[in-house]
Amino acid sequence: MTSTVNTVLPAGSPPPAARPGAGRRARRPLSDIALPYLMLLPAVALMVALLGWPALQVIAISFRKLDLGELVRGEIKWVGLDNYANVLNDPEFWVIALRTAVFTVTVVLSTLLVGLGIAVLMRHLSTWVRISLQVCLVLAWATPIVATTTVFQWMFDQEYGILNKTLVLLGFDSFKGHSWFASGGSTLTVIGLLVLWQAVPFIAFTLYAGLLSTPKDLYEAAAIDGATGWQAFRAVSWPSLRPLLMLVTFLSVLWDFKVFAQVWAIRQGGPDGQSTTLPVLLYLKGIAGSHFGVSAAVAVLMLIILVAVTWRYMRLLVRSPETEL
Amino acid sequence: MLRKTPAQRVALAVFGLVIAVVFLFPTYWMFTTALKTPAQILSPDYDLIPLSATLENFGNAIAKPGFSTFLTNSLIVTLGSVVFALVAGLLAAVPLARMRFRGRKGFILLVLVSQLAPLEALFVPMYLIMRDADLLNSLWGLLLVYVAFTLPFTVWTLRGFVKGIPIELEEAAMVDGCGRWGVFRRVTLPLLGPGLVATSVFSFITAWNEFLYALVFMRDQDKLTLPVWLSSFRTAFGTDWGGIMAASVIYAVPALIFFLLLQRKLVGGATAGAVKG
Repeated sequence: MTSTVNTVLPAGSPPPAARPGAGRRARRPLSDIALPYLMLLPAVALMVALLGWPALQVIAISFRKLDLGELVRGEIKWVGLDNYANVLNDPEFWVIALRTAVFTVTVVLSTLLVGLGIAVLMRHLSTWVRISLQVCLVLAWATPIVATTTVFQWMFDQEYGILNKTLVLLGFDSFKGHSWFASGGSTLTVIGLLVLWQAVPFIAFTLYAGLLSTPKDLYEAAAIDGATGWQAFRAVSWPSLRPLLMLVTFLSVLWDFKVFAQVWAIRQGGPDGQSTTLPVLLYLKGIAGSHFGVSAAVAVLMLIILVAVTWRYMRLLVRSPETEL
Repeated sequence: MLRKTPAQRVALAVFGLVIAVVFLFPTYWMFTTALKTPAQILSPDYDLIPLSATLENFGNAIAKPGFSTFLTNSLIVTLGSVVFALVAGLLAAVPLARMRFRGRKGFILLVLVSQLAPLEALFVPMYLIMRDADLLNSLWGLLLVYVAFTLPFTVWTLRGFVKGIPIELEEAAMVDGCGRWGVFRRVTLPLLGPGLVATSVFSFITAWNEFLYALVFMRDQDKLTLPVWLSSFRTAFGTDWGGIMAASVIYAVPALIFFLLLQRKLVGGATAGAVKG
């Protein structure tokens, strides 16, 4: 990106003045042409230096053998596609990838459903109930991840956890001393609930804002025309919700696919690696296992999966008429 | 709005309150556990509502060596990165939303793609970059890393908010004799309130939460941040749930204050701008 800036700045050719609507800016001084680039400079410089450049290095590292020894000696040892072969030939990788996909899809869908449900509900609540609900949601949202993770471990604790105590009190005696972290599925369910609990507030508030931006008279008109609640939702709310829903789906997929801190903190991917997801694998291979080349290959594969999943939406965002001026 | 019978209204209110309680419960449980003595915590009794309270756990947590240093470090790094991300993000958002220049779509794509990278993956190159720049073990280095992490989302969201401001308002101010800077200061900036709140909350949460980079980049005990402090608690006091919960409450309080201060602008603002292209 910096090269774009360099070539465009000195060229200084004014854009074609004949473009409709641009007449006002027909003859622009050089400072005006430079202005957008100067304004972009701090953000772009930081993103290139601390995201773009490291990302390119990760791609390069994925073709190298880089263990602790090479790292310390500063040795560069190219191994071609060995790291990828190593990862892709490991049947465990495919199990983990599938598990991550199932986890992401389940968490994204349930977060969206719960968030949308709460957003719609908020519209129909009386003021004080709505505000109580909103305060509770904000509290959930603001509680930091490390704190939340600790609380969830405590609530699901085998001996003294409030959940097991409650279940026993309700007569389900088999839950006395039940361990929620004994299997991968159960562990991931707890982690999913934890992620859901933290993610729903953001989605509910965003969608609620979208609902509020729909003019009220449209609902009144729909009611006069005899629309049922569902019909009114489909015809009036849906059009203004759709772009917002697509956006929060996009963001949720990105965030939930990359969830690391919670999974790691709960059981370090255990028991027996059964709750290991791709970000945990990345960590195990890299920082924990010092096979940075293999870890980088996992990262690149994750990136490829994410790009493949979100490509159409990103194209839509970049090409949409809204990005035109 | 469709008319509702009183029965429906009561049912809705009950439903709303049940959901509120469900979302409140973990926070409530963290708080009440922190108020219990070790004996109460490990008692087999069913104690959903605490009958007595002690502040002992809080006292012990705060008395731990280095607490105030960790708190200060966290506040400096977090608030600093919020301010930096807002300034750099806003500077970038305005041209991306309002100006015509070559390479604009390329920049937009860069901002979008930057959000895809798993941050744990950038660890090794990031470590080397920081080492070469002599920014390891420095709050400034950590601050810069957090700014970079939050910038793509910040730029993207703020760009949407800037686009959401009717251009006619800015043009009217220009007609009234405002310069470019005057338009920005008098028209654009005041209308961006909700957008700035939404993005600053995002940066705050990201930086306040971040654990991995803080743990590995900071070598000196007096450079650590609160998430690291909290985790050190856990290994030392594996079963002291009261202590951990008290520490968690202390850790959560600044974030809660930040949210509640901004709450009125936040509710409704979150990403309202982000879909406008």
